[in-house]
Amino acid sequence: MTAFTLITLVLVGVYFMWLAFFGLRRHRHLVQGPWLFFFRAFFPNWKFYHAAGKAPRLYVRAQGPYGVWGDWQRVYARMPWRAGHVLHNPVVNLALNHQNLVDHLWSDVQDLPEGGDIRERATYQLVTRLAHEAVRGGHWGDVPMLPAASPDAPHFQFELRMDALLENERVPASSELVLQSPVLATWN
Amino acid sequence: MELNLAVRAFELLLGFSLALQCIEYLRIPALDRVNDWAILRSEIPERPRGVRALLDVLLTARNYRVLIVLRLALAIGLMSGGLGLAGSLLLFAIALVLLLRWRGAFNGGSDFMTLVGLTGLLIAHLAGTFKGMDFGWRAGLWYITLQSLTSYFMSGWVKLLHASWRSGRALPQFLDTGIYGPLPSNSLYRQPWLARTISWTFTVWEGLFPLALLDVRLAALFCAVASVFHFLVFRFFGLNRFFWAWMTTYPAILWCAGQPMS
Repeated sequence: MTAFTLITLVLVGVYFMWLAFFGLRRHRHLVQGPWLFFFRAFFPNWKFYHAAGKAPRLYVRAQGPYGVWGDWQRVYARMPWRAGHVLHNPVVNLALNHQNLVDHLWSDVQDLPEGGDIRERATYQLVTRLAHEAVRGGHWGDVPMLPAASPDAPHFQFELRMDALLENERVPASSELVLQSPVLATWN
Repeated sequence: MELNLAVRAFELLLGFSLALQCIEYLRIPALDRVNDWAILRSEIPERPRGVRALLDVLLTARNYRVLIVLRLALAIGLMSGGLGLAGSLLLFAIALVLLLRWRGAFNGGSDFMTLVGLTGLLIAHLAGTFKGMDFGWRAGLWYITLQSLTSYFMSGWVKLLHASWRSGRALPQFLDTGIYGPLPSNSLYRQPWLARTISWTFTVWEGLFPLALLDVRLAALFCAVASVFHFLVFRFFGLNRFFWAWMTTYPAILWCAGQPMS
């Protein structure tokens, strides 16, 4: 083994030791600022699916023609699996992107400064569009966003909840309200 | 693995991965009524001046399509082995525009790893311009390898720090959230002993991934298991882009693993 090889191995070893002692710690908002947010791909933390427990979920309900509100329904994509999706999967990737918006709205609610208005955030406005799309009978590909949409509803409302990942009979073991929108008019 | 072979395999895989992404990107505007640029643009900082205006021009429906078609053409050029510094710079610049279009990521980690590949490609061509392509590719492949190994290392150890992963409880919970889920009520993955065994196996394997650098045969084994792992992630969570984005890094890992003892 040459000195160069030894130095390379030592440097790589030191790097992973540093990661173990520093990188694995919890850092909330290590990357801050609008440009850094957009370019966070340059500083990935690679922490995927690490914390089981709860996750943000979007719920919507629609008002019927006689002013009666329907039930709250969860907007969460479930798709049939196809092996060919490994090569081409735009619908599923779009549905995952929509769920990311819901996650980011939750994050924005947590970071909202005193006196801030969540309605001014792009995430709130985008999730409003997602909720509207779901209520009006939108689809991810061939899959409806809601089991029972209300294409003619004059009004709708959405909620952001933190649901337990643990479910009993497809119902989350717990569901905490994080945000409730005002009653919103539908649009064309 | 010879440097030339590693470079060719990397270019083919990265080009293929980019091409698949482009074909999806071309389909998405017709499917998506949520991600409206008129709203998204409000998040782009006003300074430096002109960035938002430039993006308004680049991201009209027509120009966005042109941008993606250009990226597809560059991806094909990369696969053919004919992409130089200018092409690498262009691919990198388009990646930055896409980050701005999609709030930093369209598809999370796969976008991050794709950027690692593109950065490695750019490093190779930039460094190669000044110190020769052999040196450039060595630098680029080492960059990609370190990022890829870091992703497995972090992903593995951060899970092992959580009691829910050590006990195996987290596995069926996450699998239930999968886009192709939930798991059937009688799924084997709900058996605590099996969930615990799988959790420990995959998290320890991920955490030990940097050991792949010690020997090329070990690296081949780690990469083979990784391919199965990413396919399973796709099977449950629909993350096809992750599968290809990480595959792109394996030629670099195999080449680097062959270096230290030589």
